[in-house]
Amino acid sequence: MTTLASTLTTRFGAIEFIDDDIIHLCGGILGFPDGERFVLVQHKEGSRFRWLQSLDDPKLAFLVVDPAEFFANYAPEITDKLAADLGLNEETPRLVYTIVTIPRGQPEAMTANLAGPIVINLETRKGVQVIIEDPAVGIKHPLGVISQQSAA
Amino acid sequence: MLVLTRKVNQSIIIGDDVEVVVLEVRGEQVRIGIRAPRTVVVHRKEIFDQIQDENRAASETQPEDIPG
Repeated sequence: MTTLASTLTTRFGAIEFIDDDIIHLCGGILGFPDGERFVLVQHKEGSRFRWLQSLDDPKLAFLVVDPAEFFANYAPEITDKLAADLGLNEETPRLVYTIVTIPRGQPEAMTANLAGPIVINLETRKGVQVIIEDPAVGIKHPLGVISQQSAA
Repeated sequence: MLVLTRKVNQSIIIGDDVEVVVLEVRGEQVRIGIRAPRTVVVHRKEIFDQIQDENRAASETQPEDIPG
């Protein structure tokens, strides 16, 4: 269905979306089990940052990035269980996002949670937050600040 | 909390389809086996708590703090 719907959000005011934009996170984000429906909101045109905005709670949104744009060797393992849960086979297109935390007023302290990536089946728009138990994978992995001096 | 005492190789059944077995006790460590359907997620609690805490911190992030 391509009917345009609208929802109010705390950070972005009213946003519009269609059914196909909706992502269903099974079980929600850990710690927030009641909100399973999200849409992606671009931070700024051309930005690597996006928001996963909850459709069930206007205040709930997570800043996310595609970790492949920041970390060359990061690829969360798709376990048999994950593949079965999300209906992923080898060719199924998928999105992987990591949640970014920026302590208030401290952009230089920005970190990505590499131990809790969100994997989304692009065909079904169903996803889940995966827990990676490997202690070498950081929950607060520093994310380089985009240089303010980069060429315009 | 339900508290049970088990010996090595004894089990506990939770619900209809989760079984927890004590496999080995060595000093301060207990090796535990879990039989559960693939649909049931099992994690060490510390990691689960850490991810949950980090999610909560992340949910406070505001757009004006995004650099660039």
